[in-house]
Order: sequence, then structure tokens, then C-alpha cells
Amino acid sequence: MRTLTTLASPAFLAAALLGGGATVLACGTTMPPKELVNARAAYGRVQATPAGQAVPAKVYEAKKALDRAEAEFADKGDEPETRDFAYVAERKAILAEATGNAAIAQQNKAQADREMQALNAQRANNAEGALTAARQQLGRTSDQLAAERDARLKAEQRAKEAMDNLAKVASVKQETRGVVITLSGSVLFASAKYALLPSAQDRLNQVAEALKQGVEDGSTAGITVEGHTDSQGPDDFNMTLSQNRANTVRDYLVSRGVPSAGIRAQGVGEGRPVATNDTAEGRANNRRVEIVVEPARGNAGTAGSAPSTTTPGPQGTGTNPYGR
Amino acid sequence: MNAKLSLPQLSLLAAIVGGTVGCASTPVPSDRVASTTAAVRAAEEVGASGNPSAALHLKLAKDQLEQARTLINDNDNRRATMVLLRAEADAEVAVALAKEANLRGEAQQALDQVQQLKQRSL
Repeated sequence: MRTLTTLASPAFLAAALLGGGATVLACGTTMPPKELVNARAAYGRVQATPAGQAVPAKVYEAKKALDRAEAEFADKGDEPETRDFAYVAERKAILAEATGNAAIAQQNKAQADREMQALNAQRANNAEGALTAARQQLGRTSDQLAAERDARLKAEQRAKEAMDNLAKVASVKQETRGVVITLSGSVLFASAKYALLPSAQDRLNQVAEALKQGVEDGSTAGITVEGHTDSQGPDDFNMTLSQNRANTVRDYLVSRGVPSAGIRAQGVGEGRPVATNDTAEGRANNRRVEIVVEPARGNAGTAGSAPSTTTPGPQGTGTNPYGR
Repeated sequence: MNAKLSLPQLSLLAAIVGGTVGCASTPVPSDRVASTTAAVRAAEEVGASGNPSAALHLKLAKDQLEQARTLINDNDNRRATMVLLRAEADAEVAVALAKEANLRGEAQQALDQVQQLKQRSL
């Protein structure tokens, strides 16, 4: 609570001492009334504080009021009206201080409000930033997914086309060891020879395309080229012949771009006939090259898109003009 | 200050009335009664009675306003004018102190909110 200075002020004590001690001085200087003392103190206080500095106009009014009281005191001494003006002057000083403090409080509030706005804006910004980032991430992810799906569809499409094309030149069937592409020996080689016939190259070119496809899209784990013969002629001759034929086919496929690391050649000889060797037709079927495509682990489904049933080669197996 | 009459008008009035009444009478300070009453009401409206310092000055203002009314009834307009001066000054202080207290409270509330917000964002 603001002080209305008490009677125990030094000025009052001095006045009491003087009044009591020396009547000689009685008509000398008059002691200022306590209202004036209080007004001076109040003005001195507000003038020095930040509150007073915040409201100079109010401080000036307080100064005018104090000047008025001082003038009254100088003119008439300690009269009731001097006290009235001093009383008002003290209130003007208190008013100035309160108004200044209010102004400072208002400034503080405005500052806090601005800070709060900035903080809220920052929070909103952060939230929006996170949202945008999440949206972008989501957009990227769905873009990626779409691209991946497209790529997969295209790869499947290409693989299917390659297999479809292949089916026109060779028998393709799904077995437990993988996709088996069977080419009739009569189409590829002259009797007892292992050099490729010119007519073989077109077919093998298409086989090579299909194989490359599988290697590229990762659906192929390995390729084995197997040479097979019928039972006519000595076993070891057939074994060597089948090995040489397998090598020839393998080398040709590699020359057409099938990676050599993933493809090996194996001569089987007459050991694994697919038909009877007692008829010309059966023997023709036994003379063959099989290309076994092993599916990559977990990718067997892709190989499954190849025709799963045996399709006869376009050449048919009925006649074998090159019978050995 | 205490009348709307200018000094020449006052002296003229004093010269005319002076002979019969004997001394220049001060007119009833009704304007000041009105402005002081308004100031007291304003202090009550901003909640001066809810703040100790403001309440003290509001009480001083009211008491002196009453005192001034009594003085006016007693035809002591000169003294009443001075008492009204004091009363109005007190009423104005009461208004200012109450406003200050209110603004301080609002500022503190805003600062507290900022502090809370800062702690939450940490």
C-alpha cells in the first residue's frame, strides 16, 4: 500500500523542536505542512522510477500541481488551502506512478502476446512442415509403388511374350526341376554332327531372348543345357555327341547374350529317353536338346506364367529327315 | 478555476453585490460535484474496492464528497470547492490504481501462458 507519510517525518520533528525551544524564531521560517512534505516525497519518487519515465505527461501534471502547492505555501504559509493543494499534488504524483506502472504492465502484456503468437505460429509451422513432409513421403512411396508395379507388369509382360514366342519354336513345359525347353535334335543338328544347322539359329535366337529375360529380371537362378540321343550307336559315342551338342548350344546362347556364368552344358547320352526307341518316331523324340531353366527361390511363380502343359514343337515329332 | 466567470466578471459581480452581502460569495461548485461523482463511479466500475490501495483512495474520495455536500448545504462553497478538489484527486488515483492492478494481472497471465507454451514445445 502506498504510504501517506506519517507525522514522524524529520521536518515535523524539527518543527516541534523549534516551536518548543525558541519563541524568538516563531515568526521566522514556517514549517511546511505534512501534506506538502508528502507531495514532495511522492513527486521525487515517481520522477525517478521507470513508471514515471513511461508517462512524462502525467509526471508533468504532478509537477505543476506540486509547483502550485509550493507557490501557495510561499505566499501564504501553512494555510488550509496550501494543504489542499499539497494533498492534490501528492495524489497527482501517485496517479502518475500508477498510470506509468499500468503502461508498463500493458507493454509487458503486449510483449507476451506477441511472443505467444510467435510460438503458436512456430508450432503451427512445425505441424504443417511435418504434415507436408509426411505427404511428400506418402506421395513418394505411392509413386515408387506405382513405378515398381509398372516395372513388374512390364517385366511379366516381356517374360510372357518371350515365352509365347518361344512356344512357337520349341516345346516348353513346367517340371519340378524348372521350365524345360525342348528342341528337337533334327532341327538343330545334322546326323551325328554337333555343328548347328543354319535353320537352328532363328530358333535358338528366340530361346536366347527368353533366357536373357529371365536372367535380367532375376527370375532365373541357373540354366542347364542337356544333350540327349536315342539308343542307336555306342553309348560312349552318344555320350560324347550329346556333350558336344550341349556345348555347342550353350556357346551359341552365350554368343547371343545369355550370361555365361549362369549357363552350363551337360551330355546325358541315351540315358533319359522320353519315348520308345523301338519306333522311328520315338527315337526322333529322344534325339533332343533340353534347356532347363531353374527358377530363383521364391520366384517360381514367374516361371509358372509359361505354358504349363507340354506344347509340341512346331516342327512336330512325326518325321525325322535326319534320322541317325 | 472554481467558477466559470472570468476575473473581470467576478470583480464586477463583487462590486455590485459587495455593498449588500459584504463579501464576494463563491458560487456552488456543481460542476465539480458532478465530475467528482463521476470519478467515484468510474473508480467503483473498474473494481477499485477490490484492491486495497485503490479502496483506500475510493473511501477518501467518497468521504470528502460527502463532506463537500455538507459544506455546500452550509453555504461554505469556497471550502467545498477545495474539498471536492481533494475528493476528485483521490477518485482519479483510485481509478488509476485499480487499472494498474488489472493490467498487472493480465500481463502476468499472458507471461504464464507463454511460459507454459515454451515448456510444452521443449
